[in-house]
Amino acid sequence: MASGYPLPQQKSKLLLHKGWGSEVTSPSFHVYRSEIILMINKLKNQRLTLGLILRLLLGLAVVIYLGWRIYQTAFGEGTYGPDTWMRFLITGLVIGGMYALIAIGYTLVYGILFMINFAHGEVMMLGTFAGYFVLEAFAAIPAPTVANPDLNFLNAQPVIALVLTFLVGAGFSALMGYMLEKIAYRPLRGAPRLIPLISAIGASIFLQNAAQLLFGPQRRQYLNPDFLWRGTGWMILVGGKEVMLTYTGVFSFVLSILLMIGLFIMVKKTKLGKSMRAVAENKQAAALMGIDVDSVISKTFIISGILAGAAGVMWGLHNGLFNHFVGFLPGIKAFTAAVLGGIGNIPGAMMGGMLLGLLESIGPALLGIDFQLKDVIAFTILILVLIFRPSGLLGEALSEEKV
Amino acid sequence: MKFKNILVLMIVFVLALSACAPKPAEVSDDLPAACQEDAFGCAVIPAGETIKIGMGAPMLGDYSMFGIDISQAVALALEHDDGFEGWTYELIAEDTGGAPEGGAAVANKMVTDPTVAAIAGHIFSGSTDAAMPIYEKAGLPMMSPSATNPDLTTKGSTVFNRLAFTDAAQGAAAADLLFNALGFTKIAVMHDGGTYGQGLADVVKAAFEEMGGEVVGYEAVTPGEADYVAPLSAVAAGEPEAVYFGGYAAEGIVMMNQWSQAGLDGVLFFGCDGTFGVEFTDKTGANGEGAIAASLVPPDSEEKAAFDAAYAAKFPTKAGELSAFTWSSYDTGGVLIAAIESVAFVEDGKLFIPRGALVEAVRNSDYVGLTGLIKCDAIGECNASGPAFYQVVDGEWVPLAAAEE
Repeated sequence: MASGYPLPQQKSKLLLHKGWGSEVTSPSFHVYRSEIILMINKLKNQRLTLGLILRLLLGLAVVIYLGWRIYQTAFGEGTYGPDTWMRFLITGLVIGGMYALIAIGYTLVYGILFMINFAHGEVMMLGTFAGYFVLEAFAAIPAPTVANPDLNFLNAQPVIALVLTFLVGAGFSALMGYMLEKIAYRPLRGAPRLIPLISAIGASIFLQNAAQLLFGPQRRQYLNPDFLWRGTGWMILVGGKEVMLTYTGVFSFVLSILLMIGLFIMVKKTKLGKSMRAVAENKQAAALMGIDVDSVISKTFIISGILAGAAGVMWGLHNGLFNHFVGFLPGIKAFTAAVLGGIGNIPGAMMGGMLLGLLESIGPALLGIDFQLKDVIAFTILILVLIFRPSGLLGEALSEEKV
Repeated sequence: MKFKNILVLMIVFVLALSACAPKPAEVSDDLPAACQEDAFGCAVIPAGETIKIGMGAPMLGDYSMFGIDISQAVALALEHDDGFEGWTYELIAEDTGGAPEGGAAVANKMVTDPTVAAIAGHIFSGSTDAAMPIYEKAGLPMMSPSATNPDLTTKGSTVFNRLAFTDAAQGAAAADLLFNALGFTKIAVMHDGGTYGQGLADVVKAAFEEMGGEVVGYEAVTPGEADYVAPLSAVAAGEPEAVYFGGYAAEGIVMMNQWSQAGLDGVLFFGCDGTFGVEFTDKTGANGEGAIAASLVPPDSEEKAAFDAAYAAKFPTKAGELSAFTWSSYDTGGVLIAAIESVAFVEDGKLFIPRGALVEAVRNSDYVGLTGLIKCDAIGECNASGPAFYQVVDGEWVPLAAAEE
């Protein structure tokens, strides 16, 4: 922070944003308990009308049916062995990690500006492209050895190549996030909240079409280093059968967890993190305390860009095929994940991402329905969560004043 | 005042209609007997004119690659023919924009030209559907290389025939290949939820079960995604020997690349004509080895090589580059020429083609072209040899050995 006077100690305690990793990160049990007591009281006071009985019966029927369905697929029919469940779990965790990284970007920006950055998926897409071109460039650099005259730099120094790829991918996305804020959002800072939202959608369409014009609509394929080739991995035995734990999957999962831990520490321990929390809590007060609000907002976009860019490179390494459209679906899903976990809340975004990934891969199998309906399950859960906890799983209710 | 306007409009409308309506076949005393007896009269081509084959195709716009490719291949077929008694053939390809309205407009234009003998087309199913009743009235036989909608031949049309195999025919052939030639008894079926993909998958499932095989998995995937490990794993749990997929290359490639991740090692991937193509082999690499797909592209032969060379020499693109219909389009030209030459005759220096007889001749075609035997059944399905099946060997699509027996 360039212009920062250190925050006074007591003030900073006051400024702690509840959702951002303070002591009150998740609602403790007694909060739930008080809610349950409230609901019971409400039920007690309600007259038992026919409509209510019908609704209760319908709800009960749905719950019983779903429970029976789950029991049947999991234990009864024996359709899927433990190896298949393991595959679902692995798929869910890998994709969930990427959703979580992108979801954090939505949540960070929302926490500070109270706007949904709908162009965030496109920031990720640009990271995927940047990583692709870096890998292609490395593969074109010859690094012949005596044993292998065809060796290129990508396979001769895979670790350095990968680190550089991630740096460029994340760096380019960070730059794009920074520019996006400067060009599309900053001029609209004082405008009503709907205006930057529309600007965000416009920016998203612009970036997508710009990428299509620049790079063409055809799908490209990521060039992984040989040791991290897609579709290769460790074989683990589950229930007497071999299940593949792909190198790219493990790599993506571990890296996304590391990035999330890093972000968490940054938000909690560093000066920048502290000023970000301060701006999230109250922009005017933060400015009065000597925090350069504009610079904090810019840095927030840079950080969310870094995470999105890293997720974009991972997406390419793990899934391989991509084009200018690659950011759209993950962007929408990650937004959903952020809302599911409680938008504005970092642990919520992480949890929401993982949960959504797992729901998508395990949900249809558990209910014994078509995998094409996985989004139906994911969004049904989202709606149910929002009905009972409108602020998301870990979200806190926003006061009128803050909004 | 208003009434007068409407009256004027109506008069103009009626005049326009009468101008557009196809002229009834001219029956005059100086026509040969065969033409007077024929229900639709004759196409009359004076000396020095060409025998015209009409075509309604998307020549401009988004789908122009189909129109351009198909018209080029038909034109080449007409050019390769020596002509009949001094008359040569000419293709008149008109733009339909791929739309039903365009199809009807082109048909209305074609039926007014006495020198148009037959129609190669139309190209898209919707435009074909709109044009069929117009050609039916005028007695112009049609032979479409590419209209695949199954309903087209079930409408009782006498003039409409096609070389394209329907999705139903492809599905039945695939199931037959899986069960009989390849000897599988347990397969899984997947599709992308689209009309084309799911339609094919359902046909294969029904046909395979009818033959006595077992379908141990049936899953749909969401098109456009990058990760199909979960649905593939669900299918793998049933331990199928092969997986049939109805859909397009975009999804087929993703599946193929995640094959071993889902525990499907050693299980055959069986695709359709939607998954066939260079993109599939390019983007699956070693993962795609052994995959099977169906295609309109005929197996290699001397005739095919000669045609490919002639096509490449005459046009800026190679055969099959713009669409997969190049070879069946060439055959379309051949079939129509053979039918015309079986009924045409010369009298008083004019060439006469009895239209009703030609309609019958096209329906009774028995012709061997690049794509194999062309023999129409009672409703006008003329692709007697069915789709060709290909397998990926060393990164190339080669004709499947088991399918040739």
